[in-house]
Amino acid sequence: MIWHILKRELFDHINSLRFALTTFIMIALMVTNAIVHLQKHADQIQEYSKNVTVSINKLKAQTRLYTLIQRGPGELYKRPSALSFIANGGDAFLPKLVIDDDSWTAGDVKSIATVGYPETKQKSKNLRPPGVPLDWVFIITYLFSFIPILFSFDALSGEREHGTLRLCLANPISRSLIVVSKFLGILIALVLPFTFAFLLNITILSTSPWIQFAPADWARLALVFLIVCCYACIFIAVGLMVSARLERRMSLVVLLLIWVIVVVFMPLTLGTLAVKWSTPIQTVHQFRATKREFINNTRTENSRKWIQMKQHIDRNKAQKDELLSLLRFKMEWVNFDRNIREDLNREYLMAQIKQVQQARFVCRLSPAATVQYTLESMAATGLNRHRQFVENVQLYTKRFRQFIVEIDSIDSESLHLIGIPEGMSNKPITPEQIPIFEDKLTFRDSFNSALVDMSLLVLFAGVFLSGACLFFLRADV
Amino acid sequence: MLLTLIRQQFLSHLMSARFFAAVIITLLLVVFNTLVLIDEYERRLADYNIQKTVHRQKVEAAETYSTLELFIERPPNPLSLFSTGLEKQLGSTVEIYYSLVPLISNASARYLANPFLNLFLKIDLAFIFQVVLSLLALLFGYDAISGERETGTLRLLVSQPVSRSSLLVGTYIGAMICLLLPLLLSLLLILILLSTTSSIQLSPDDFLRISGIFLTTIAYVSIFYLIGLFISTMSQRTATSAMLCMFSWVVLVILYPTWSQFTMNPVGDTHAEKSSVERQVNQIWEEVDREKRRFVANSPLMGKPPWFNLTGKGAVAWGDGRYKVNLELDPQSEELVPHVQEYYKTISALEIRLAKKTALIREQSLERTDIQQSRWDELLMKLSPASLYRFATAAWVGTDLDGMLDFAEATQKYHQALINYFYQEDAFASRLWFASDKGIVDWSNLPQFHFDRKDVWVNAHRAIPELFVLLVMNLVLFGGTVQVFIRMDV
Repeated sequence: MIWHILKRELFDHINSLRFALTTFIMIALMVTNAIVHLQKHADQIQEYSKNVTVSINKLKAQTRLYTLIQRGPGELYKRPSALSFIANGGDAFLPKLVIDDDSWTAGDVKSIATVGYPETKQKSKNLRPPGVPLDWVFIITYLFSFIPILFSFDALSGEREHGTLRLCLANPISRSLIVVSKFLGILIALVLPFTFAFLLNITILSTSPWIQFAPADWARLALVFLIVCCYACIFIAVGLMVSARLERRMSLVVLLLIWVIVVVFMPLTLGTLAVKWSTPIQTVHQFRATKREFINNTRTENSRKWIQMKQHIDRNKAQKDELLSLLRFKMEWVNFDRNIREDLNREYLMAQIKQVQQARFVCRLSPAATVQYTLESMAATGLNRHRQFVENVQLYTKRFRQFIVEIDSIDSESLHLIGIPEGMSNKPITPEQIPIFEDKLTFRDSFNSALVDMSLLVLFAGVFLSGACLFFLRADV
Repeated sequence: MLLTLIRQQFLSHLMSARFFAAVIITLLLVVFNTLVLIDEYERRLADYNIQKTVHRQKVEAAETYSTLELFIERPPNPLSLFSTGLEKQLGSTVEIYYSLVPLISNASARYLANPFLNLFLKIDLAFIFQVVLSLLALLFGYDAISGERETGTLRLLVSQPVSRSSLLVGTYIGAMICLLLPLLLSLLLILILLSTTSSIQLSPDDFLRISGIFLTTIAYVSIFYLIGLFISTMSQRTATSAMLCMFSWVVLVILYPTWSQFTMNPVGDTHAEKSSVERQVNQIWEEVDREKRRFVANSPLMGKPPWFNLTGKGAVAWGDGRYKVNLELDPQSEELVPHVQEYYKTISALEIRLAKKTALIREQSLERTDIQQSRWDELLMKLSPASLYRFATAAWVGTDLDGMLDFAEATQKYHQALINYFYQEDAFASRLWFASDKGIVDWSNLPQFHFDRKDVWVNAHRAIPELFVLLVMNLVLFGGTVQVFIRMDV
């Protein structure tokens, strides 16, 4: 019996006007998305590889160990994701690289390379009207909530008005099965055009030489497909829920209003509101002032000590161990300065990211926001990806410094004081040995960061579907 | 008869549950967002004041003329909560330097707060009207005719001694009055909320602008009601009409504007144009280097600027081809000072002349690339009434591209004022240009920057084309509906 209803529902939908319109719109949008992404992605990849080559060449041109630690690995770039057509992730607002923090010189003491995070200083080159990119997130959050509503608002109420619902219930079938079969009918009717558009999109993309999907990417795409279906399920279930209780016209109005609030307005306002109520963090000016104050303090204090020690040594003829302690002091100074500055930079960045994440936590009330974050994680773009990139950079800098220490320890003439020119090995290094930064995106990272959101989506879908069954059980026919 | 019709329509809408639900939702959204937006405006105003203080401190810290770091800041527009336009997207800080004519693209945005918060897109009040009121209008319109036909009451109506077109007029007016209610209520609430905050003072001009937005909103809402009416007259069944209305809504309001902007790029790739302009500009600037060398060769000065063969202490910052020099000269260099003064006088005059020449090239190129692209985007997006409405409100408020270009023009005027000030103080030829050992610069006469928005008539002039197109769309749709309705079998 359930198959019977399902089949009838499906045929009904497929023959309807809304199905035709849905298919048309879906295909038009997905094809546009693919075509535009083809061109953009090529540009992105070219820019990235150009930047990386420049940065690596600079690094390989170093021959002294000291310049390596003094200048550091240079600018490290974030690799653009091949799947950025799924979610743009607000790329315009996220820095693409990690830089070397400001350096300073005090007399004959020079600071060493410090990881710094660039301030977002957008040059306002973009005079185009403000808008959002047409990525899958846009297509899915709007269309895959709006169209399920249009399919489901009259699923139960319409039949009730025509009187066919009574006929249906006269059969030996439970009410919840009717709801489930209607649910499945709509889901299949929606998934069909989406699958077609999805495959078309991927086919167009894979014709490009710039885009090569790795096996992990296919896994991501498959998961994205499931996530989209799950998201559609939520709105079908909500539609059925409302349709079980209200008459047809009213159910359309109520559903549209719910849609406007949940999909259009909640993701836009909740974040801002949450930020307003969260604990404020330092402004850029305040942060810069504290950092400058700290740097200046340590520098004046240490310079004074440094000059005293030097004068002392000059007066009573340099002893070898005294000279060594002088150098050790210098080394400790520059390393301390670097570590503290790095900690400050990282803490500030993390405070910034944490504030956004807290705000996003509130936004998850809306499934539209949840699906956006999930897709961003899957596409390896957006805030989570930026955090992973920063972690990658930190791991790499650790490795890079480890490498310097190792090379230095081989040289027996060196004093093994890392961070000052007098204390380090002077032997030329082979450029091939220097570790190179590789920004890797692993499937596991994406999956882990998307896991919570995905379970939230499944939970939403489950709750609303059971809600629909319950509502229908108690509805008068 | 017409009055009875209007009253009947009005009352039936007014009493309906959908009207009640929609009004509640609109008001809730409006109040909620107005509060958020006022708060946001106050934050931006605070940022603006902080930035201004920082800029002033930078000016006062300069001891010589050449070390002047002069920045100006665009004040936030108090009406931007109605329509944000380009206000937040474009940078608001502009550096004023004597040898660089500022263009709209020279502004930079510095976020004082957490820059990652930009990941949350912001909305404005026009967006709420754009989405909610148009949806409401369609919900009123989709069953206006087809619903009556299905229930059979249309026959009764037509049998009355009233022409079919006045029947439509009655339906239209009745529904529009009803649609105006949520709009009026929201505007009232917004004005009440605005008057309770001390940071936003609205001028009489601003009230005219708000009424302009009100008129535009009426024209916009009416379009969607007429689309609903038209579809409802065309289609046999309410169900079909509902589907067509909903799909046209989602396409016109949500999908098309994004789609057209994302897909269409009529200006094409501008990288080549931009790099060629950069080359041209660099070529022009090479003349300065030649002139510098020639000057040094013909004078007792030797070596390279800014030290030449001077001796003394001092700080020199160099970047972007600019020297920021603050020296303390030794007595034996004194005799060279007049030559250095002459040097800066000649070179600066040349730099100012060339800056104007390059500004012309840069401006033209900007016109051909970015501004052209923006205008094309606007034109294509305006095929949808929703975008038309967005641009019209931005034009009323003054946050559209033209409003931003006004600011760019003001910065250029201020740049000229700075040059005039330098000439008036004879700054280029003075010792204070490069040395602060015999007194430092007194900045009290430095001209202050003021930016006043253009008056409301300019805004009206910019918004009227859009308003006109909206009205024409209304007329066409109404005419079409009347034509179809007259020939319809009931």
